[in-house]
Amino acid sequence: MKNILGLVCCLVLCVSCSDDSLNNSDFVAGETFTDSDIRVLQIDTLTTRLSTMKFDSIITSQGSRMLVGKYSDPIFGNMKSSSFIEMVPTSYTIDTDAVYDSIVFILRYDNYYYNDTLAQNTVHIKPLNEVLKPADDSDFYNSSSIGFDEEDLGTLTFVPRPLEKDSLSVRLKDSFGSDLFDNLQDKTLTDYDEFINYFRGLTIRPDDSIYGTVLGFSLASEMRLYYSISGETESVQYYTDFTINTSSSPIPFFNQISADGPNEYLSVLTSNDVNLYSEDAEDQSFVQSGMGVTTRIEFPYLKSLGDIQGQGTLLDATLRIKPKEGSYNDNLKLKDTLSVYIVDQNNDLTGDLGTYAIMNRDDEEFNNIFYELSLSSYLEDILETDAESSEALILLPSNYSSTVDRIVLDADYENEGTQLELIYAIYDENE
Amino acid sequence: MPFMMKMNKTKLFTIVVILLAFNSITAQSEGLTSSPYSLYGLGVINQTSIGFTNGLGFTGIGIRTDSQINNLNAANYALIPQNSFYYDIGLKGEYNNYSNSTEDESKTTFNFSNLAVAFRVAKGLGFGISMVPYSDVGYYLVGLETNIEGSNETFESNVSGVGGLSDLRMNIGYAVLDNLRFGLSTSFLFGSIEEKESFVISQSAFSSVEETNYSGIRMGLGMQFDLTDNITIGSTIQLPTSLEGKLKRTVVKYLDGSEITVEDDESSATDNFDMPLEVGIGFSAKFMESLTVSGDYKKNYWSETGQEENLGTYEDQDIYSLGLEYIKDPKSYKYGQRIRYRAGFNYDNGYLAINGMKVDGYNITAGIGLPIGQGLRSMLNLSYSYGSKGQIQNILVKENYHMLTLNLSLADLWFQKRLIN
Repeated sequence: MKNILGLVCCLVLCVSCSDDSLNNSDFVAGETFTDSDIRVLQIDTLTTRLSTMKFDSIITSQGSRMLVGKYSDPIFGNMKSSSFIEMVPTSYTIDTDAVYDSIVFILRYDNYYYNDTLAQNTVHIKPLNEVLKPADDSDFYNSSSIGFDEEDLGTLTFVPRPLEKDSLSVRLKDSFGSDLFDNLQDKTLTDYDEFINYFRGLTIRPDDSIYGTVLGFSLASEMRLYYSISGETESVQYYTDFTINTSSSPIPFFNQISADGPNEYLSVLTSNDVNLYSEDAEDQSFVQSGMGVTTRIEFPYLKSLGDIQGQGTLLDATLRIKPKEGSYNDNLKLKDTLSVYIVDQNNDLTGDLGTYAIMNRDDEEFNNIFYELSLSSYLEDILETDAESSEALILLPSNYSSTVDRIVLDADYENEGTQLELIYAIYDENE
Repeated sequence: MPFMMKMNKTKLFTIVVILLAFNSITAQSEGLTSSPYSLYGLGVINQTSIGFTNGLGFTGIGIRTDSQINNLNAANYALIPQNSFYYDIGLKGEYNNYSNSTEDESKTTFNFSNLAVAFRVAKGLGFGISMVPYSDVGYYLVGLETNIEGSNETFESNVSGVGGLSDLRMNIGYAVLDNLRFGLSTSFLFGSIEEKESFVISQSAFSSVEETNYSGIRMGLGMQFDLTDNITIGSTIQLPTSLEGKLKRTVVKYLDGSEITVEDDESSATDNFDMPLEVGIGFSAKFMESLTVSGDYKKNYWSETGQEENLGTYEDQDIYSLGLEYIKDPKSYKYGQRIRYRAGFNYDNGYLAINGMKVDGYNITAGIGLPIGQGLRSMLNLSYSYGSKGQIQNILVKENYHMLTLNLSLADLWFQKRLIN
């Protein structure tokens, strides 16, 4: 009897210690053996409201390049950009034996351009007659202006080769060059203040009558003063460089960007808080960097997701926006990435979403291209906040203060122009 | 007398060990069966019972025995002899093979089967407590394809379930006449089933864990009537009841690589699970002192419960079983002649119809009862059963299994003075 009881104890203890890793299996029990308990819905009927707004002005003094050029756009009007720069010498001393030779401005391409590069372009370089000081003492805007002399210091007509060539050399007037040379050689100009008082800077401008391309030039472009010193047998050539001042604060540099005569829709955008809804603009919305024209995106009925029967949660959100067919071509190119920022109800910029709308060109041969933007986290935050959201998203090229790209977007839901695709999981059919 | 004391200490020790192990036993019983069919309802309903009935095709409603516990009919508890104390512990090992039209897989599980005690209270009045797994859940399905509503696309999810319910039952049997007994049973059904589902859609992932706790009380009645010394008929009724379900859910999702808790262990309403009315009749007849034939028929009125599953519906279930036991001479001095040989068959037409097809099954059983020690009643019962469930056609899974059960059915004499001290 005792033995049996011992055996019972052993058996019981054996069982209670057995391994529970026995229960793992990957047997696929037939595809339709059961259904998921969770319903997953794809919803693409939720309204996405696009509108166009325009920032009163955008800061261009923080830009990364000079934009110079002019082109004509059937939608956005005549785009024109000019640069305003302040030059400082790399050295204030010139040998007393030196003799003035010549002066040039070297414009270095930085690979950026917009619109047709086959047409001839002309640049004019003119002296400023006003010190480059911003009106608000902090920034220059695309709309800022500074006085300059109408007479050219130099001009050049050329066929742009922004990708193939390094730079352009613009010969400046010798009267300007030799004056500058003399003042430095005579030690009339010995520091920054004296120099700026004498030479306020330059503006580099397109020709008003030539429509070609807007070119980007590097801020490492410079003005070069050549002189020579006679040696025992022959004279040796030297030069002094004048570089663009980007180190003073506020930065004495900006691009002046303007659009003359845009279409009837864009001309209503006279102030920051005007929203031109796509239904009032033939189901279109607009983006133009440099000018601060941007597309505003709202999801007015997002919270109605909560009306779906059952308890559910958002799993994925993707916004797809097509560029308007016929609004772009090989010259009026589309940017592949757009940055996404957040604005409040007054259209003041409040943040950066940190994600990008990226052009999907998988189906390009069928003319089916669209910007794709993942909004899962952003919409999740709105859904989890009780209050109605008054903010909106805007789309702008990331380098919007130093580019002049423009895009027309198709807001037409029927045409699958703009579609928000949501994936929503219902894990309990009961409320 | 010191010997007696010693015996009781050993017994006490055994009971303590069993009780201590009890918690882990019930915990162990979770998830160790693994039939894909266990994803429906409360899982796969356990057929095995206590002791000798496992070898007899699970028959027992009409079996009269005064030497072992018969848990299939509470009325039989009335027959426990004076000064007797029975206990029974069972283990179960199962080797399963699942196949569908494209693949098959095997698996071995080892499980606690039952624990029971029974004793006589007064003349003609017996009492017993048993603990038997009522159902087992243990499935893991991968690559379950489901349509994303509103699109032509699908998502693939993995679902798994573990858990099961236990049946803690108190039985009282009372003999009204020498040949007529009634029984009353009260079952406390309890346990939990944990179901997990997870899937990935584009950049996001979803995972939910739902734990449903079920509990409820179910009453049952039993009757046995001896037509002659050798023929007994019996019947049982399990009354319908509703198990209260309490759901706790945790839902987590991953958006753009960051984890978001949607629900954290939140309680939620869930449907109660309705248990059907179950009616059974059975008989046993003894021929030539050594051969016993037993047969049961049970009908479970599942369709009355009106419950539905995702793809399955509940339908009335019929279970037919037949058993045969042979013993040369229970009173023989030769050990070999006291061995009991058993065989049985059981057919179950199923209570689930998946996509309109009923999942039926059968078992062929064989068993042997080996007497232990000098007493007549202690017995090591071994049984083997081969069973099959479902069919490969359509979407169903066919499941074949070999099951071994081992029961130690022990009888002890209590409250009895030793003649020699």
